[in-house]
Amino acid sequence: MTVLGEIALWIALPVALWGTVLSFIGGRSGRGDLILSGERTAYVLTLLILVASLGIIAAFVGNQYQYSYVANYSNRELDTYFKVAGLWAGQRGSLVFWTLLLSVFASIAVFTNRNRNREFMPYVSGTLLGLLAFLIVVLLFADVSPFERLGFTPANGRGLNPQLQSYWMTIHPPTLYLGFTAFAVPFAFAISALLTGRLDSRWIAITRRWILLSWFFLTCGIVLGMRWAYEELGWGGYWFWDPVENASLLPWLTATAFLHSIQIQENRGMLKVWNMALVVITFLLTLFATFLTRSGLIESVHSFAQNLTIAYIFLGFMGGLAAFSCLLIVYRLPLLRSENQIQSFLSRESAFLFNNLLLVGITFAVAWGTLFPLITEGFFGETINVGPPFYNRVNIPIGLILLALMGIGPVIAWRRASPRNLRRNFVLPLVAGVAVLGALLLAGVRHNMALATFGVSAFVMAIVVREFWKGTKARARIAGEGVFSAFRGLVRRNRRRWGGYVVHAGVVVLFTGLAGAAFDVVVEQELAPGEAISVRSAFGNEYRLVYESLSHSRPRAAEDVAENDWRWTALMTIYRNGERIGVTRPERRIYPVMEQQSTEVGIASSLLEDLYVIPKDVDLDSGAERVVFEVKALPLVPWIWCGGLVVAIGALVGLWPTGTVPVRAAAARRVRGPLPAGAVG
Amino acid sequence: MAALIGGILLAAGVMLYVIEPVFSGRGAPVYDSEDDYDEGAARRRVALTALRDLEYDRATGKLDRKDYESLRAELSHDALRQLEPDAEGGDPADSVVERASSELEDEIAQIRRALREGLECASCQHVNRAGARFCAQCGQALEAGGGAGTRTNAGASGVAGAES
Repeated sequence: MTVLGEIALWIALPVALWGTVLSFIGGRSGRGDLILSGERTAYVLTLLILVASLGIIAAFVGNQYQYSYVANYSNRELDTYFKVAGLWAGQRGSLVFWTLLLSVFASIAVFTNRNRNREFMPYVSGTLLGLLAFLIVVLLFADVSPFERLGFTPANGRGLNPQLQSYWMTIHPPTLYLGFTAFAVPFAFAISALLTGRLDSRWIAITRRWILLSWFFLTCGIVLGMRWAYEELGWGGYWFWDPVENASLLPWLTATAFLHSIQIQENRGMLKVWNMALVVITFLLTLFATFLTRSGLIESVHSFAQNLTIAYIFLGFMGGLAAFSCLLIVYRLPLLRSENQIQSFLSRESAFLFNNLLLVGITFAVAWGTLFPLITEGFFGETINVGPPFYNRVNIPIGLILLALMGIGPVIAWRRASPRNLRRNFVLPLVAGVAVLGALLLAGVRHNMALATFGVSAFVMAIVVREFWKGTKARARIAGEGVFSAFRGLVRRNRRRWGGYVVHAGVVVLFTGLAGAAFDVVVEQELAPGEAISVRSAFGNEYRLVYESLSHSRPRAAEDVAENDWRWTALMTIYRNGERIGVTRPERRIYPVMEQQSTEVGIASSLLEDLYVIPKDVDLDSGAERVVFEVKALPLVPWIWCGGLVVAIGALVGLWPTGTVPVRAAAARRVRGPLPAGAVG
Repeated sequence: MAALIGGILLAAGVMLYVIEPVFSGRGAPVYDSEDDYDEGAARRRVALTALRDLEYDRATGKLDRKDYESLRAELSHDALRQLEPDAEGGDPADSVVERASSELEDEIAQIRRALREGLECASCQHVNRAGARFCAQCGQALEAGGGAGTRTNAGASGVAGAES
């Protein structure tokens, strides 16, 4: 199977090149047969890359350590589902996995557009196939083939990094990659629009779903990654402004900006160049996130011994793509002129514009911080890292303004709004915000940034709730419906708008959860069995954790390494305000084959806060049962996950097949006859 | 060996499938079968959406009466300009609007009546009962009645819908 996989990858190369060339020639000459042949290569590539991927998985599951990739990321003792996940455990496999997802999305794009948007399609499939061809060339010739053989067969592999041995490994990377690769489709349509000169908002109308789909996966991927980092000790909590985390955030930020700015183009015919730039930048950032962070280019501050070839190849490719896109945009500038101007500073489009500037500002700050070590290394010969304080100082204020804009934007009308009306609309939410602020001050909260976050959050939440209430009421009045069916009809009629508001509500909850970090309480103590550690949380709850016992799974004979890991498990009983609420089992693990350790924290969640238990110092050799525990009471952390869930639900509402009349159908009906009464409104 | 044979078979199958259109001459459509998206349709849709949003903003209290009325006049003007098929190409909008506004009001009234009572025939203006497929007076197919009159009717029904 593995050999067949390698053969399939070799077959894929000429196929991809053939498809790319034929698609472009077919589009240029208007020859349907060439276009069809090009489009068929998309399906064929999916099959071929799938065979290659299955080949790699087969090598993992079959313990074929003659392949260097398998030997480096697996061993006999590893659980089977981690072996399957070995496909994306390292850079080489990730490259194949990325190619597979891209080919799947390319096939879906080709299939769903087989009878429509035909003028775009040759260049769309050409662009996607070109990207695939590039990836396959890299896989085969850039010394990163996952099928590379060692020349001998080691008895066992080196195993998977303990920190990756978590069930999140099977969920988080694929989700994020789905987000990255899905964005290739809007990029391809943008390139096609530039090449064909069809630069009205049509390409945006076609790709709106794709953009939202990609954004949905990116969001889920990032939040899942935060949860993983939270559970895995050594990654500094749910967010640490680590280069890899930053790299996944960058395309999310620009994609978010793009989701807002396309609305201005659709509604007002403005920002066409800006949107083109955003789609190109976002796609480049997805490439950056997938490849450069894993190539060792950024981590080169820590180790110079990395093979940077792949980094330079991707850097060159991204530079080429950027230059090509810029040239195309400049060439098409006359067609990209704005049709309107902003009429008033007080208008939704100007709020959106401001939101875009802030998002791009954060993008720039994060990118600057991520690349700073590289820049100083290049220019001054020494690497200087910027840490979380830099990011927090820059991004928290901008984030707060963005949060406030989420409330202000929806209330301002398109084109222009009068200040008097704004005042009237803002009174109630402002009262809500100030009331929350006052209550918190009375309760003795004195952290400025957190206070600001809570106040603004209450303001935005009040606006979102009122928007839903007012919309439902208006609809109930106009359509003469009951409240419930009016609400359903409201959301169904404009899923994008209402889905967006749900997303805003989720972000508010998430931000509130993040602000909770200002009130973390940490205690540390060495305990013998039977002793207890106490911590008083910011919400005033008194927690007592009784250390009951330490058990371990270490085999008797130390040289017996048939186990993947040995575990020392502490058992602790948790009391809240004197009442027993449960137990937690924090763990230390040793991975004998890799000679590494990991710590599994114990987490006890409630609605308002998490109790986070770290077995900090365990004497693994003597078997003594005294353990140093660090216990943290983390207020509002559960809100982060809850907010993430609400954001995902909101995105799904926007993605759901819409009840409104799509452009094509509306236009077709326009020709055929009057619309049925229910279709408009 | 088995893998090699499998690979050869795979390569052959793939090649046949991909190259077949070039030899058989079978092609994918180069243009959309009905080119139903044109710049004008998009603009009309945008203009009508803007009107709909305006109504929504007014209904939820985001616009006061004065702003609402001035914007409504402005947007209706835009929408009318887009609804007029000849308007693209920079015709002075005002004359178009003058011509179109009274016609449009008639049409809105017609559409409202037709939607309430049944379908109006595009060729003889006979109002048929709702659900009729052919005109009871002249026999014209009601759904497929093309022509400029029907086009404007449908567009105007969008405005009527937005207002309702």
